[in-house]
Amino acid sequence: MAHAEHHVTPIKTLIQVFLALIALTVITVVAARMELGPLNVPIALTIAIVKASFVVVIFMALKNDNRMNAVIFLVGAVFVVVFLTLTLFDTAYRGDLPNTVKGTIMEEQAEADALKARDPGPRPTPPNQ
Amino acid sequence: MAEVSTVKAERPEHLHHHFVSSEQQFDAAKMGMWLFLVTEILLFSGMFVAYTVFRIWYPEVFSHSAELLNWRLGGLNTIVLLASSFTVAMGVHYAQTNERKKLVRALILTIFFASIFMVVKYFEYTGKFAHGVFPGINFNPHGTAGGLDYAAYNIPFAAQFFSIYFVMTGIHGLHVLIGIGLFTWLVIRANKGHFSSEYYTPVEITGLYWHLVDIIWIFLFPLLYLI
Repeated sequence: MAHAEHHVTPIKTLIQVFLALIALTVITVVAARMELGPLNVPIALTIAIVKASFVVVIFMALKNDNRMNAVIFLVGAVFVVVFLTLTLFDTAYRGDLPNTVKGTIMEEQAEADALKARDPGPRPTPPNQ
Repeated sequence: MAEVSTVKAERPEHLHHHFVSSEQQFDAAKMGMWLFLVTEILLFSGMFVAYTVFRIWYPEVFSHSAELLNWRLGGLNTIVLLASSFTVAMGVHYAQTNERKKLVRALILTIFFASIFMVVKYFEYTGKFAHGVFPGINFNPHGTAGGLDYAAYNIPFAAQFFSIYFVMTGIHGLHVLIGIGLFTWLVIRANKGHFSSEYYTPVEITGLYWHLVDIIWIFLFPLLYLI
């Protein structure tokens, strides 16, 4: 009946993937302890993505599943990238425009009022001249 | 009375009325869980984006502050969660092959590993609190431990790192606790014989949830503890 169509992942495969995940964890730690400078972050992220891929494809059996589920997952991942990219476009370029002035609009207004109070402008003409 | 052969198939108990077959119900449940998992991924993405923005703005502060986190405990927790993902996958396998006792054992092991994770996190958190490392406004590192002078880490934007650390691992920890609750429910049901190769959907979809919890930690560990 139903179970004939369900893919049963063999225990041996599960054990192999588990051991691979452990090995990748060890590699992550070892690589992080090495001073690799700017490569640190990309390497750590790459290994993390490989580990996550193992979990998704084998443990979560996405490989043997209805293709729609893989599409759903990948679209989700795409939106994470969109989220990150657009946010970084904002935060990375803050302060780039030249129309930024020191202080808030209220402070500027208060400064302009103080200057006007010091110098009221031209003297009003006397009434009978 | 005429012999009428009714082609009325016996609907299994687990089959809800709005589904045509067990297969359709199982597929619907799995797809529903994958959709939910995408919402979970985006939930954690919000926090990962916050981490990324602050990391790009203050990279040295983040690298430096990470030294206060114990990477050995973090690494242990990573291994523990990987093991729990392994036992959950084993559990699903045993449900599919009708090995009830092994299914129950696998689920119990999953709870065991998840509990170890929470215990380690408890010691990590209390260790941080004891040295004044709190999230948010009460951030006040002091004291020494393991050759580290905590007060020296009281630099601008270190508080942001730890706020992000506590919120991310806190919400992740909440998900672990929820998982423990779910697996406890599954152990009780599996022990009663509710699951078989014909119907093991709760085991399958709780397993999917648990694997995602593991994946989140797979990313949290290097980003918070290692780099």
